[in-house]
Amino acid sequence: MTALPLRCRPAADDGLLFVNDSGSFFRGDPEFASRLLSGRLEQADEAFLADRGHLVDEADALSFDAHTFNVAERIGRAGTLDYLILVPTLRCNLACTYCQVSRVAEQARGFDWSDAHLAAVLELIDTLSADQVKIEFQGGEPTLRPDLIRAVIERCERFSARQFVICTNLQELSPEILQLFDRSDLFISTSLDGDPGTHERNRTKGRGSKFFANLDLLLSRYGAEKISALPTVDPSSPPEIDALIDAFRSRGLTKIFLRPINFQGFARKRHSHSREQDGAWRSYYERFVRRLVELNWANQDTVLEESYLSICLGRVFRPGRDRHVDLRNPNPAGVDYLVVDYDGSLYPTDEARMLTRSGVIDLKLGTVGSDWKGETWRMLNSHSTNQFDPACSRCAYQPYCGRDLVDDLSRYGRVDMARTSTEFCRKHQWLFDLIFELVYDKDAAVQHSLRRWLRLDCEAALGEAAP
Amino acid sequence: MIPLRLEVVAEGSEPFVTRLRRGQAASGGDSVMIEDGAEGAVFAGAKGLLVTGPLPPEGFEDDVILVHPAAGRAERLIRAGSAHNSLLVTERCDQLCVMCSQPPKKSHVDRFQLLKEACLLAPDAATIGISGGEPTLYKEQLLSLVEDVAAKRPDLAFHILSNGQHFDEGDVARLRSPAFRRVAWGIPLYAAEAELHDEIVGKAGAFERLHSSFAHLLRSGARIELRTVLMQANAPGLDKLATYVSNRLRFIETWSIMQLEHIGFAKNRWNSLYFDHRSDFGPVGRALDRALVRGIPVRLFNFPRCSVPAPYRPLAAASISDWKRKYMPDCDGCAERDACTGFFEWHPVDHISAKVTPL
Repeated sequence: MTALPLRCRPAADDGLLFVNDSGSFFRGDPEFASRLLSGRLEQADEAFLADRGHLVDEADALSFDAHTFNVAERIGRAGTLDYLILVPTLRCNLACTYCQVSRVAEQARGFDWSDAHLAAVLELIDTLSADQVKIEFQGGEPTLRPDLIRAVIERCERFSARQFVICTNLQELSPEILQLFDRSDLFISTSLDGDPGTHERNRTKGRGSKFFANLDLLLSRYGAEKISALPTVDPSSPPEIDALIDAFRSRGLTKIFLRPINFQGFARKRHSHSREQDGAWRSYYERFVRRLVELNWANQDTVLEESYLSICLGRVFRPGRDRHVDLRNPNPAGVDYLVVDYDGSLYPTDEARMLTRSGVIDLKLGTVGSDWKGETWRMLNSHSTNQFDPACSRCAYQPYCGRDLVDDLSRYGRVDMARTSTEFCRKHQWLFDLIFELVYDKDAAVQHSLRRWLRLDCEAALGEAAP
Repeated sequence: MIPLRLEVVAEGSEPFVTRLRRGQAASGGDSVMIEDGAEGAVFAGAKGLLVTGPLPPEGFEDDVILVHPAAGRAERLIRAGSAHNSLLVTERCDQLCVMCSQPPKKSHVDRFQLLKEACLLAPDAATIGISGGEPTLYKEQLLSLVEDVAAKRPDLAFHILSNGQHFDEGDVARLRSPAFRRVAWGIPLYAAEAELHDEIVGKAGAFERLHSSFAHLLRSGARIELRTVLMQANAPGLDKLATYVSNRLRFIETWSIMQLEHIGFAKNRWNSLYFDHRSDFGPVGRALDRALVRGIPVRLFNFPRCSVPAPYRPLAAASISDWKRKYMPDCDGCAERDACTGFFEWHPVDHISAKVTPL
C-alpha cells in the first residue's frame, strides 16, 4: 500500500489539514503526520486512508483509476458558448464614486449599440449551439434601452431553457420596464449598499428615495426570489454590520454578496487603496459571516448567507461547480461566456472590458460579427490554469481555487507574479482558512449555517479527522 | 396488478415475437387486428393468425409480445404505455443473495434472438430494462444484443442489472463504443467491508471481483447506477459505505438505496432482514447526508414518502414498477400519492412496514 500525495496546511490546535489532489480532505494531528511520513501507519490509519481513496495498491486495480477520475473531476470543463454579458448602452443616470465601468452621462451620444451592432448580436445568438442560454444585461444602465433588451430576449425563444438578468440601478421604473420584468425567465440584479444613508452617499446623491421605493415595489410585486441585490462596500469606512444585514433581511433578501470596491474603472483613481485588501477588511468580513451564523441560529426559518463564501464552501465539498466564472480552474477566456460592449467590442470578462476602457491594457478580443479567437484570446488561454503553477502545486487549496488573469493584470499589470504575492491568492488562502476553521468548529450554530449554505437539511459532520 | 401474460392460440410451434396493432402494419414484425370482441381478438401477421383472450383494459396498441404457441400463452415483453419494461435474459446466477427477490434457477433457455427482435419493435426512445438471473453470464450475447439494437435503433436506451462479476480488461475497448453510452448498469454493492458484502451475496471473493469490474467499467466510461438494498446486516455500515462511495466510487452516475422487497428469499427471512427505517432513520439519513455533501446523486427506492422525514422526501423516488405497484387503503387522499413509490403488490398489509400516514 502506498499513500497518494497529500498536501498539508497548519490548522488550529497544532493540527494539520490534509488535502489530496482531488480535494478530499481530513484533519490529523502531528503524530498521525509523523506516522504517515515515516511509513509506520497503524491498521486504523490504513483503514481510514483506504476507505477515503488515499492509498494505492497494485492488487487493487481500482485504487489509482478512481483517484485519477477524482482529480479529473476537479478540472473545470468549459462547455460551448451559452452565457453572454451584453452592454446595450454605456449611458447611465447615476455617477457612483466607485463605478467600475466608466459610465457616460445619460444624454451622451454614440454610446449605444447601433442597428448594425444589434443585428450582429442577434446573429451571434443564432449561432449558439447550446440548448440553454443565459444573458446578462449590464451597463451603463441597460433599462435606458428597453427596445434593445426586448429584441435580444425575443431572439432567444428557440432555447429550451432561458435565463435573463438585468443589472439595474432601479432609478426609473417605466411601465415598459415593468412589462419586461414580468417575464418569469427574467431576474433583476441591483446594488444595495445598506441603509439609505450609506446607499445615498455611495450612489444616488440625493436621489435615493426613489431607489428604495422602486426596490420595495418590485419586491412586493415579484417576491425576493426574482431579485438579487449586492452591496459594494468601501473598506475604509464599512457600514455597521447589523444595519447592512438589516437592509437586506428586512426586505426578505437573504443572499448578500459582500464585495469590497473592485479595483477597476473609476475606482482605480478615486479609491486607489482598494488595490490590496488589508487585515481590517478581512476582519470585517469575518465578523459579518459570524454575525450571519448567529442570526441563522437564532431564527432557523431564514438562511442568511454571504454569497461568495457559499460558492467557495460548495467548491470544497463538490467538484464541478464551475459556472461561477470568477473562481474556477482552468478559467478559459472567451469560451463559454463572452461580453459584448456598447460599441460591439468583445471581451473575455466584464472586468476585462473595464480594464480596457481604463486604458490599462487592451483585452479586446474582437468585434461582434467577426472571429474573436485571435492573438489576445490565445495568449489569455495559454495562461488560464493554476495547474502547473509552482506555488499552487504546493497549496492545499488548489483543488478548490481558481485563476483570474484579469484580476492580476488589473492590480499588477502582469500575469507572472509569484502567486503568493497576489491579492487573489492571499484572499483565497485566507478565505479557505476561514472556511476550514468553520468546518471543524464544533459549535452547533456554525454547523447549522454551514449545512444550510451547502443546501443540506441534515446533521452530517462535515469535517473528518484521521485516527 | 397489471397482467404480464395473455392467453393466446397461435399457429406454428416455435416461439415468436410480434407487435400488436390496429390498422396498418408498420413492420414485418407486426400483427394487425382483424377482429375485435368482448371475448378477445384476432390478429394476423407474418406468423399466421393469433387469437387472444380478453385484451388488457389499459390498452395493447404497440405492445410487443413473445408468443409461445405450444403453451397457449404470450408474454407482454414491452408494454408501449409503460416506462417499466424489463426483459429477463436468464434465470441463472453466480451469486445467491440473502434477500434475492427472484431466486435463481439452474436451467437456462437462450432467447437472445427473440429479445433482440422485441427491442427492434419497441416504441420510440424507450428505455428497456434487462435483468436476470445474471445477464453477464451470457456476456457475449448480451453485449451483441446491445450493439445490434443500437445500430438499428439509436433512440433506445438500456438499463441492465448486473452483479458486476464478469467484466474484464478485454471488455474495455468494446464498452467504449458509442452504443454503450445508451446503457446504464445497475450494480449492487452492499457494504464497504468485503466480508459483509460477500456474506450478503453468498459468494466468497465477490467484493474483490466487483472492484476489478469497477476498474474496467470506469476505464470504459460506463454509466453505473450503484444499488444498495437496506437490511439489518448492512444498515449500521451504511454511513461508512457512503464515505466509501463518495471517495472511491465517484465515477458512478447515481446511487440508489433500496428498501427490501417482500418476495423471494426475503419473504421467509423478513424478520431477520427488514430494517425498519421508520423507527430509526438515522443510518439512512447519515448516509444520505454524507453522499449529498460530496455531490453524489442519491435516491431512495421503495421508501413510501410518508415513512421518510420531510427533508429527505424529495429523494424518495416512485421506483416500484407500475405493474407491481399498489397503495394501501389509507393512502387515499394523501397529497403525495402520485409522487410516491407505494408498495409492492405482494407486500403484506398487516405488517408494521405497511402503516401509512397520509401527507
